[in-house]
This record gives sequence, structure tokens and C-alpha cells, in this order.
Amino acid sequence: MRSPGDPMVPDDVAWSAVSPRLALGRRIVACGSLLVLAVAVVVIAGVVGSPVAFLGALVPLALAGWVWWLIGRQVAAIAYAERDDDLLVRRGVMFRSLAVVPYGRMQFVDVEAGPLDRALGIARVQLHTAAARSDASIPGLAPDQAATLRDRLARRGEARLAGL
Amino acid sequence: MTTGPTSTIPGRTPTDGEWRPLHPLTPFVRGWKVVAAALVVVGQQRGGDLAQRGLPSRTEALITLAAIAGLAVLAGVYALLAWRRARYRVDADVLQLRTGVLFRQERQAPLDRLQAVDVVRPLLARFFGLAELSLEVAGSGDSSIRLSLLREADAQALRSTLLARAAGLAYEGDVAPEAPEHEVLTVPVARTVESLLRNGSTLVGLLLLVGTVVAAVVLGSPAPLVGLLPIGFTVISVVWTRFTGGFGFRVATSPDGVRLHHGLLTTRSQTVPPGRVQAVRMRQPLLWRGRDWWRVEVNVAGYGGGRSQDQGAVEENLLLTVGTRAEALMVVGLALPELAAAADIGLDVVAAGLTGSGPQGGFTSSPRGARWLDPIGWRRHGVLVTRAVLLARRGVLVRELDLVPHARTQSLALLQGPLQRRLGLASFAVHSTRGPVRPSVQHLPADVAATLLHQQAERAMSARADSTHDGRWMMGR
Repeated sequence: MRSPGDPMVPDDVAWSAVSPRLALGRRIVACGSLLVLAVAVVVIAGVVGSPVAFLGALVPLALAGWVWWLIGRQVAAIAYAERDDDLLVRRGVMFRSLAVVPYGRMQFVDVEAGPLDRALGIARVQLHTAAARSDASIPGLAPDQAATLRDRLARRGEARLAGL
Repeated sequence: MTTGPTSTIPGRTPTDGEWRPLHPLTPFVRGWKVVAAALVVVGQQRGGDLAQRGLPSRTEALITLAAIAGLAVLAGVYALLAWRRARYRVDADVLQLRTGVLFRQERQAPLDRLQAVDVVRPLLARFFGLAELSLEVAGSGDSSIRLSLLREADAQALRSTLLARAAGLAYEGDVAPEAPEHEVLTVPVARTVESLLRNGSTLVGLLLLVGTVVAAVVLGSPAPLVGLLPIGFTVISVVWTRFTGGFGFRVATSPDGVRLHHGLLTTRSQTVPPGRVQAVRMRQPLLWRGRDWWRVEVNVAGYGGGRSQDQGAVEENLLLTVGTRAEALMVVGLALPELAAAADIGLDVVAAGLTGSGPQGGFTSSPRGARWLDPIGWRRHGVLVTRAVLLARRGVLVRELDLVPHARTQSLALLQGPLQRRLGLASFAVHSTRGPVRPSVQHLPADVAATLLHQQAERAMSARADSTHDGRWMMGR
């Protein structure tokens, strides 16, 4: 079962990446608020009239640049793989995680999409098991892709479900 | 439900499939709680004033009394309405409960999904011979059905009937006979008291108390004592809650499953059918080491509902409050019959996991590299997989051993931080249902952890396929 490469990224399965539009959505939220902060600093600096204070706006701008880059890496690190009996979900760049959810343990599957998600044309598939801790969610799927994945997972889950 | 409540008709059983009311004394017993809570609030608010300003004026006292009386009337009326609305019904497959004054609710619990049945007797209810029956089904949040309150005999009859129907057991008539109970151990009161004293926070609390009393005597003023009051109150209430909750802890076995009885003021009888224990943790705090005492906590789906994950073990999640190593191992054997049944490794290896370190007892443990991340405890991190159960070992000061049957594994995860990545390590976690047991093994070699992850996923599948304890556990016996 074990692969010779990185144990956190088994390479004997077919990984599917998520949509880069998820990165855009997260960047809009994170960098947008930092830009608002930068504008606020500029306005305050203008009122105070100190040229040094204008430099303060660079801090949120630099942070926004870093977050922009980080979100790209994080979204690129999210991937899932459907195996015969279970679903693998991996995520994280610095702190990496690899979750296995056996189809037989899935109690139900949700598809969620907020207003921004809908505007960008992405949705999140959320798997629920009887354990509160198994956070198995796949964000950033195209809505029709999410719906077919949900149906497929639900069908496999039903075929294998046996109590708790 | 336009007809008024009918009182219990003699000769009829609580399990005949009719809609039945709760006991008529319910509103009185439950409404009283609100008044008691109000009295406590008033006591806390006014208690401080009393010391500073002396007795309150006559008008003030009258207003307070009137407010409490008004609240009592309101609570009583509400409890009466709630009681008039509440109806329950038991048929062959489900327990149904209708409640709600403004917002109606009808809950239905399929009996083959039953996880545990508790009979709880709050102090006041005990005076009237009443009891609450609480049925746990697996669900997120607070999914239990509470029948509060019933006649004690009715609660008992309901419990045995629900369990028999859930088990798929055939019996004569409407009410199943009470399953015979075989008592296996009792925790002596003296040990309960000593275990509470052998506790870090109790000792700190006692030291603080002694210190402030000395300070008060030396200074000749009661000021330090007043400052201590809130802390002292907290410590005493925690210790008191543990003492009354764990008082007279008895473990028994019956064909229905493991029976637990405990409590001083509010008594609780829990029944956990076979195969309902999702995970077990054996735990030994530092100060219990001299006595070699252990505490056993369990995850049962539905227990601890409505509480947050992090609140730790609550009363109902305890399988043994405090016991010797032999007692703890025996209780674990009762909770996880898989351990002994399938010609498994048996309890000797479990015992080795309690105190062992490194590869002792066949455990796979952290490599030397892990000492950079956990210089004290790295040798204790270990995992052992048997035919039916996964054992996760950890903790040098507070020793812990988690056991998860493969058939109860929900999902699994591998976690790796940046330092672990440099050292070639990864942590392995098993996700169990909500409860105090959150099994994980820190700092395993990354490739070992990855292999374990995939093997464990397969074992979970195959164990579930031939698990005999699901659903109606008495069928086919």
C-alpha cells in the first residue's frame, strides 16, 4: 500500500486538484480587508498630515501581498482522491494533513455555496461522519462537479453503510 | 392533542403503543428548579450586600419576595403547560416524544439505533418516587430523548422493554422482564474521597485555604478570607460535584450490556448495550501513581450531547471513576468484548501499554528524533494494532492509553507540522464520536504512520463487515 515518495502525498492514487477560483475567492476576502485597512491608514495619515504615517500603509499592503502568495500555495495543496473504499483529502503547506474517510462511515454529504462562491462558480462538498472531528470537506469544486461527487459519494456510502 | 391529560390508567403498561402523559407531579418538580435557581441568584447578588450594609429594608425585602413569588407562578404555569403538551409513545420500533408549548417538537428514536438508556433520579424526584428516562441515539448535538418524569417502576419497565426491543429479544406480554444483573465491582467511598484528595487542583485549593487562614490569623483581619471566597467556592463545588456524581459507583453486567450505577443526591443508572462503546481511555494522573489507580472514560454516541468537545469527561462518560489496575482492566474487558473474544492479544498487552515505553509490549513507538519535539515523553508515544483494537499510548506524568475497536473507527488522519517534516515524523489520529477520548499518536516515523493510515482504513472496513454487535444484538443468538 505504501508509496516510496512523500508519505503525506501517496502517489499511487489519482489526485484531483480544486479550482483556482477558490484562491481568487479567498484572496478577495483576505486581501480586500487588508486593502481597506491600508486605505484607512492613508486617510488617517492625511488627516494627521504626517508623511511618515503614509509609510504605515505599506504594512497592510505588504501583508496583502504575502497573503496573496500564501493562499495560492494553500489552494494548490488541497487535493482529493476517490479510492475504491475510501476518500482521501489532503491539505496544508506548512502544517499538512491527510484524512481518510471510509465510504461506509459517511452519514450524509452536503454541498454548500455562499454568495461569493456562487458568483465565482464554486461549491464545497462537506462529508459528515458520526465523529465531530473528521473534518472532511472539499472546497472549490465546480457546482456540477460538486453535485456529481456528492451523488457518487452518497451512493457508495449507502452501499457500504452499516450502523455507527 | 385537544383532550386533557388522562392520569395513568391502572392495568395498562407504559409500553402498549398508546400516547401517554408524563407523571402529573412533573410540573411541580421541574418548576421548583427555576425557583431554586432564582433563590441562588438572589443569594449571590444580595449576600455580599448583606455583609456590607446589614439587613435590607422592609420594602426591599418585600419586592424581592414578590419577584420570586411571581417567578414561581410563571415557572409553575409554564411547567404545567409543558406537561399538558408532553406525550410519549412506544411501539415495536420507535420511541416518540411530543413536547413544546409555543414551538412544538416531535422526536422519534428508532430503537435499533439506540446507543444507551439511562434512568436518572434527581434528588427532589426521588422523594416522590419519580425518575427520568433518557434514551441516547446517535446524532449531532443534543439528540437524546428525555422522558421526565415517570413513576420509577414505569421507568424501569420502559428501560427493560426498550432494551429488549432494541435487542430484538422475544418476550411475553407488553413489558419485558428486567434483565438479571450481575454486580462486578463497587468503588469504596473511602477510595473516592482519597482519589479526590490526590488531585492537583484540590491540593492547590487546600494549600491556598490553609495559607489564607494563616494570613488572616497573623494579620488579625478577615480580609484575605473574603478574597479567597470565590476560589474556595469553585474548588469546593468542583470537588463536591465529583464526589456526589461518583458516589457509590457500581459496575454490573447484564444481557442488556454494561450497567453503571452512581450518585449521591442525583442517582444515575446507565445501560450501555454491547458494541456501543466507541472508544475507551485509561488514565492515571500523577498523584494516583502511588496507589496504581486508574480512571476509565468512554465515548458512547449521544453521551455528552450539547456540550463542547473540549469540556473533557463528564459524569456519563465515566466507565470507572477510580479503580485498581486489575479492576480497570476488567471494566475495559467488559466494554470491549472484542479484546477477549476474538482470541485477541488479551488484557496482558493492555496492561503493558499502561506503563510501558519504547517497544515494550510490541508497541511501535517514536524514533529518537522525536526527542527534539517532546524531550520528556517521546518514549511513551506508541501504537499497537491487534486483531480487533488499536491501542494508542502516551504521557509520562499523566499516563494515558486509548483503545479503539477497528469496527468503531470513523475516519483517520495524518498530520505533519514543519518540524515533524524535517525530522521525518508524522502524527496519526483516529476520529471517534464526541466524547473525552480523542485517540491520537504523536511523532511516529512518517512512513510508518502512512502505512498505518492505509492499513487502518482497510481494517475498519473489514471489521465492520463481520461485526456482530450492530443493530439488534440478541438476534441470532
